[in-house]
Amino acid sequence: MRRPWLIVLVVVWALLPWVLGRHHVDLLVFAAIYTIAGLGVGLLLGHCGIVTLAQSVFYAMGAYASAIITVNLKLPASLGFVVGMIASGVIALALGWPVLRLTGFFLAVATLALAMIANALFFEWDWLTGGTVGIGAIPKLGLFGFVLDTPLTFYYFAWVVAAIAMLLVHNLVAGRTGLAMRGMRDSLDAARVLAIDVHGLRVTIFVVCAVLGGVSGSLFAHYTGYVSVASFTIDKAILFLLIPVLGGAASIPGVVVGALFITFVPELLSKLGDFHGIVFGLALIVVVIAAPHGIVGTIRQWRKRALDESTATPGEANK
Amino acid sequence: MARRWMGTPARALAVSAVCALFTTTLFTHTPSHAQQATGEPIKIGAILAITGPGAGLGVPTRNGVLLAEKAVNAAGGVRGRPIKVIIEDDASNPDNARTKANALVHNEKVVGLIGPSQVAQIVAAGAITDPLKLPHIVPAGLSVPVERDRKCVYHVLPPQDLNARALMEYAANAMKIKRVGVLHDSGYGNVVMGALKAISSSYPGIEFVAIEKFEIGATDVTTQAAKVRASNPEAVMVIATSGTPFRAVKQVRIEVPVIAAIGSSSYEYVKAMGESADNVIIPEFLVGEDPLPDQKAFVEMYRKEYNLTPKNFEAAGWDLVQFMVAALKATPADAKPAEICEWLRRPHKGVLADYDFRDADLTGMKLTSFVYSKLIKGQYTRLPFRVSK
Amino acid sequence: MFSSLVVQAILSGVTNGVIYALIGMGIAVIYKGSGVINAAQGEFSLIGAVVAVFAMKAAGFSYPIAFIAGAVFGILLGIVVDVVLVRPMVRRKADEDAFLLLTIGIAFAISAGVLFFAGRDYFTLPSIGSDGVAIVFDATIRYHAIWVIVACAAIVAALRFFYRKTSFGLAMMAASIDADGAATTGINVAAMRTATYGMGGLLGALAGLLVAPIVPISYYMGLVLTLKGFCAAMIGGLTNPMGAIVGGIILGLVESLAIVFIASAYKDVVAFSVLLVIMILVPQGILGRRGRKGG
Repeated sequence: MRRPWLIVLVVVWALLPWVLGRHHVDLLVFAAIYTIAGLGVGLLLGHCGIVTLAQSVFYAMGAYASAIITVNLKLPASLGFVVGMIASGVIALALGWPVLRLTGFFLAVATLALAMIANALFFEWDWLTGGTVGIGAIPKLGLFGFVLDTPLTFYYFAWVVAAIAMLLVHNLVAGRTGLAMRGMRDSLDAARVLAIDVHGLRVTIFVVCAVLGGVSGSLFAHYTGYVSVASFTIDKAILFLLIPVLGGAASIPGVVVGALFITFVPELLSKLGDFHGIVFGLALIVVVIAAPHGIVGTIRQWRKRALDESTATPGEANK
Repeated sequence: MARRWMGTPARALAVSAVCALFTTTLFTHTPSHAQQATGEPIKIGAILAITGPGAGLGVPTRNGVLLAEKAVNAAGGVRGRPIKVIIEDDASNPDNARTKANALVHNEKVVGLIGPSQVAQIVAAGAITDPLKLPHIVPAGLSVPVERDRKCVYHVLPPQDLNARALMEYAANAMKIKRVGVLHDSGYGNVVMGALKAISSSYPGIEFVAIEKFEIGATDVTTQAAKVRASNPEAVMVIATSGTPFRAVKQVRIEVPVIAAIGSSSYEYVKAMGESADNVIIPEFLVGEDPLPDQKAFVEMYRKEYNLTPKNFEAAGWDLVQFMVAALKATPADAKPAEICEWLRRPHKGVLADYDFRDADLTGMKLTSFVYSKLIKGQYTRLPFRVSK
Repeated sequence: MFSSLVVQAILSGVTNGVIYALIGMGIAVIYKGSGVINAAQGEFSLIGAVVAVFAMKAAGFSYPIAFIAGAVFGILLGIVVDVVLVRPMVRRKADEDAFLLLTIGIAFAISAGVLFFAGRDYFTLPSIGSDGVAIVFDATIRYHAIWVIVACAAIVAALRFFYRKTSFGLAMMAASIDADGAATTGINVAAMRTATYGMGGLLGALAGLLVAPIVPISYYMGLVLTLKGFCAAMIGGLTNPMGAIVGGIILGLVESLAIVFIASAYKDVVAFSVLLVIMILVPQGILGRRGRKGG
């Protein structure tokens, strides 16, 4: 039943960049990159109830790993991706182990503190990161002898990577791990009784989130060809959090919608100048209050309600 | 504010006459047309930091750009066609700068690009214009090595090593001192500090007795300032983009002169400095209160339009547009981008300074273009000192 | 010379610490009264200061009147935030992370609003007392900073009295500890939460009004103030608004001594690392009494 929709979606996706102008394709590439990072944040938020503001750190680590490996060490780009993922994962494990003992607000603030520390170090360790000046001339990616040097070619590549990431996350969520995560989110004590290693599971998902952030950062570095601290500020961490919040944290399409929202809406609002910040802040407030499950979650609820109303007998209406 | 210009016909005429006069003094090789330009406008793209932390740079630049656009059109435009500068805001974000550059270059098909305002944004936008050899001029100095390879991205502000030399010249040759303390931020300040260290061998008489860093956005740096004070400097260099370090210097009673880098020279920061905007010397290019003779016409015109006194970035915005227009006028209507870019590779005389875009640093500015100003109780005054070389 | 540097570090550290404490107290009061961490507390300060500046510059009021206007505006802002935004969220029993996101949204909107309506200027207010500095062992502290310390102590004493001795304060505590129990004794729980936000708004605005003479305030500063204030409250113990004072001064001293003994560039790294260690190892904070949720 879902298949025809999927085929239509793929066809639209394949044809889209041929209809759109180059700068919209460019925005769609960023949407793909942000989708990958947002998937990790959504996994933590939607399935474990964890608010992380540290995704910018792992995004930066992926980007810096790719930049340093390809520019400073002149090694192949694929190695940059691998090193970025490993570095993000290892750091996430080392930091997550102690920090994930916290929950709720305190965990959110702890991740924000991590992001602030990392940002200070990116500035300070300019022998490694280039600091404000950054690292430039990062080579374009090549795939089977084909150089991804335009937004169009990178569009296809980035979205394929994003689709693979979505598939992996989907399998994770649909399997036993997903059940354990939701059990832990909804009733911590019950999960403990069922012998779920709550802390271990949280750390594992944090690492998965970080690895996704690392991949996303590596893609960003190769797409723009230049990385500097200006791209890894606290604003970026908040942006990555907003993606699942706006789209719907518990759903994978929600993350895609969130990433599209975050790339296209500010672009549309930018003609408003300083006023666009107010609109953006108010939009966030409205979503949090009126659509707590994000855009996709709310649409699903409406559909479900409509479906229930048409099928349910009056006696057993949904509560 | 932009629309007010065309208020009365008499005023418009008077103003266009002034503009025409002014553009001819700047570019004597181009004939002046006093009539209005007509026809399809020639589109020039501009990306500036209109919002976000970089707006202190982008907004004044925009004012200069708009003034120049008006002046050019009042003087007949380019080959009888008006110019249209399409200004986009990158919100001080490098990802946005890249997207906006794609939009302007590929959708709007602009003939040249101006801006962005900040280093990371410039490098991001340069990645779009460089493969096309599109003429591109930016209101910032060359900072990143990769920029040296982008031969069509010209700069109208000095590279950081020249900023560093301008600071050192004052300490070494105007004050003739030996002991210098430095207070700098971790962004812009760190870049200039790196340049200061690199050129310090050219000024063997000067020793850095204290170098203290603070993070961008710090609200208090009195402890760092106290550390600088404890090293007994004869002058303190402040390299930052905020008023905070100046207040700290005042609070810990550093009484020696402060030499500040051009980054802190704006009325916005002077306001934030409050009473500490005193005894501060700045190597820069335009002191609106007392301009050099060939800057006077621009300052007058700017005052008339905005009722404000211009500083460096306003003049940079003006120069960016004028250079681009000069290149469009001098090349045939069907010139390829690379030809326009090629034409730009020559000496230019701007309001801000003299340039030579053939130079390896893509600006060709000289130390002799710097003027030195001093803040005395919140007022800029121009000092007699100039570098003579 | 070195000892005077240490004295300067201590004086600067205490001055900054008291600023952090003022923000932190507001965060602690709202947390104590409603169980929510208010990520817009720094923006409340922003509003308080900006309203006072405009009351003086645009409307021509005297400094004391402008000060009161700023404080009153803070109370109103807190009340509006509760009635319009928090109440619907409480009604549908939203999660902790939803409240956090809500207050982040409020912070965005206020900061953008200040930028839009007041511009990107740095706003300052006149100092209380004289503009000058006191000199202690060749180090300096602003006279105004001394007044801020006095004000901070007075606020702590007032809060202590309010929560322990007045029936209103006791009712507020009761409503937050056991909402259903409080309701059975006739306490209007929703009104108590509104009062809590009003108090949080007042403390936020007072912080802004007291800080603006030392640190010129601009539209983007809310986040930094909130974060440092949260650290202060957290280190001292979130369930105890007095803890914010201890926490704030510890944080301020750690920062300024890190500048002297480690390196100025690592100031924030050291301060946030201390925060993380305390959060993990001493979850109640130094002065916290009861265990808090989520630690």
